Amino acid sequence: MLMKKRYVLNYDENQFGAVVARDGDETMVQVGEGDMTPVNFRPVLNGKAISIRFGGRLHLIHLSSAGKGGSVQATLGGRPVSLTVMDELRAQALESLGDAAGSGTIAADIPGLVVQIKVTEGQVVHKGEPVIVVEAMKMQNELTAAISGTVSEVPVAEGDSVNPGDPLVVIEPEPGV
Amino acid sequence: MATSKTGKNKTGRKFDKVLVANRGEIAVRIIQGLKEMGLGTVAVYSEVDRTALHVLMADEAVFIGPAPAAESYLVGDKILAAAKETGAGAIHPGYGFLSENGPFSRAVEEAGLVFIGPTAESMEVMGDKLASRRKMRSSGVPVVPGTDEAVTDPEVAVGIAEEIGYPVLLKASAGGGGKGMRIVRESGEMASALRQTMGEAGSAFGNDACFVEKYIEDPKHIEVQVLGDGKGNAIHVFERECSVQRRHQKVIEESPSPSLTPELRAEICAAAVQTAQAIDYRGAGTVEFILAPGGEFFFLEMNTRLQVEHPVTEMVTATDLVHAMVKIALGEGICYAQEDIIQRGWALEYRLYAEDPGRNFAPSIGRIEGMTIPQGPGVRLDTGVYEGFDVPIHYDPMLAKLIVWGEDREQAIARSRRVLREFTLHGPVHNLPFHLWAIDQPAFLDGSYTTHFVENEFDPDNWLPELDEGQAEALVAATALFEALRRTGGKADGAERNCTAQNWRFNALRSMTHNK
Repeated sequence: MLMKKRYVLNYDENQFGAVVARDGDETMVQVGEGDMTPVNFRPVLNGKAISIRFGGRLHLIHLSSAGKGGSVQATLGGRPVSLTVMDELRAQALESLGDAAGSGTIAADIPGLVVQIKVTEGQVVHKGEPVIVVEAMKMQNELTAAISGTVSEVPVAEGDSVNPGDPLVVIEPEPGV
Repeated sequence: MATSKTGKNKTGRKFDKVLVANRGEIAVRIIQGLKEMGLGTVAVYSEVDRTALHVLMADEAVFIGPAPAAESYLVGDKILAAAKETGAGAIHPGYGFLSENGPFSRAVEEAGLVFIGPTAESMEVMGDKLASRRKMRSSGVPVVPGTDEAVTDPEVAVGIAEEIGYPVLLKASAGGGGKGMRIVRESGEMASALRQTMGEAGSAFGNDACFVEKYIEDPKHIEVQVLGDGKGNAIHVFERECSVQRRHQKVIEESPSPSLTPELRAEICAAAVQTAQAIDYRGAGTVEFILAPGGEFFFLEMNTRLQVEHPVTEMVTATDLVHAMVKIALGEGICYAQEDIIQRGWALEYRLYAEDPGRNFAPSIGRIEGMTIPQGPGVRLDTGVYEGFDVPIHYDPMLAKLIVWGEDREQAIARSRRVLREFTLHGPVHNLPFHLWAIDQPAFLDGSYTTHFVENEFDPDNWLPELDEGQAEALVAATALFEALRRTGGKADGAERNCTAQNWRFNALRSMTHNK
């Protein structure tokens, strides 16, 4: 039975296409513009890693699913890599939605406590300027503006507990600022 | 559960059951030591630590309250009640939490229990930087030039700074762990720096006393392990160097120090013994010194507890400091003679923090999704976590300590490279790759690094090694295969969305693999 799947993978600044095909006992992989080649691999360590022979070398690659959205954590040779992997159709659908990531929103990335808000609504801020301090694990983390603009919203107050993804400060980009 | 009564025991020893008033890797390490000595072990735990490793390992465990340390691990009365409930005859405080809290150690002894550590008086002298400076100066131990009295007036502070020369360091007398310190490089900065340091000290330590000392540029941080019997006898267990720091907190420690000549080593170790003797120190302690580029050294402070980095000392001297502390507490004195303490080989300790080096070492949390522990010659792992454990946000982000021993520094570093690459941790972002980066820097390799190593050498935007082309392709292929296996996990009937990583593993092993 022939099964063929196309994937789009992203890590760091890199994007790769990959095709996995199975025909009976044989598994073939194509990476990027390379050839479709039979691949010699084996899930090992109770499914926590894949041992794969590629380019004449044997690689031990640890892999874990990290949350939703096809996030995968991998480690090879002591180098951790965060990837996203999705099938091609989903990748295309996402791309057609456009890059909706408004980098003007500063969100919590870890659970913590808002200890200091350094800006107020309407204030003009510059890229890199500290806007809010969140304390987690006894350490204070100063978050900075990713873009220059005007603070349009501060949906949290000092003393609030926040979770990853919670918006903390929203900055409207302003040309010329 | 509790069979023995306080102060009495079956073995004829002063105590035969010990409560460990801590959590994480240090609680685990102490429990291990106690078990080796045939002593009973009692763990305490907060709401979020019900399944923490130290709890799983102890003979008994007592719940002591909500997650915040101030409502659990820091509440002396709850710890004492837990000891009474279980019949523990002694309390080991570990490091942090109540380990250097004079009133707590006093309360333990007043309750008729043994505190495995120094007396409250020792803690109080050493916990107050001004008092300890005065004590050391009068005992002939060199201290950093500066004041022995609290300073509140910026004019006075400027006068002192001009006398000893800029830059100077403003320090909170009750400070520690890198908190409550400020460098002042010119008189114009003094007033606001003093105000801020006093403010911080007041809110963080409840004592706003600050003092001025000479700021030593490019210092090295050398510390000496000591053991005292509480009766004026003390020995040293040689030095450690802890100059790789970020945010004034240590990340890599080693023993011996690459910065000491045999003469300087003998001098600095003798000064540490002198320090311990000056206060009739009891138990294991660490005397910290700063070493100026010219080879002058100064007493900085004494940590009146077991240190995080004690394993490097244990590895190069073949000692067990937990056993030694417990024996001192049992009244058996110091179990080693000074001449039996010999340094052999080299040990490095890497603190595994759940933090992101690329983002200013911001802490990270989450479930440990996968953990592959390195093994082989010269490897020791002191850990407080395991695969499947949720790292709580409420405590220090240190998950474990990896200690690597080699015959000499070069071999220990080469071995570390191998071991750090074998160590895999998925879940929280962590600093293992930072260690791999650090040990390949010229300033680390030649031992010339100072406490400014990280700020001088580390570029958060350009430190992770690039994968080579072969690795990148193998990674992409493996991840695509991982995804394909996960999604088809043995069920072709559309139930794939429910397919978890677990059953991927299961099915992958059974049916989806081949290897010619």
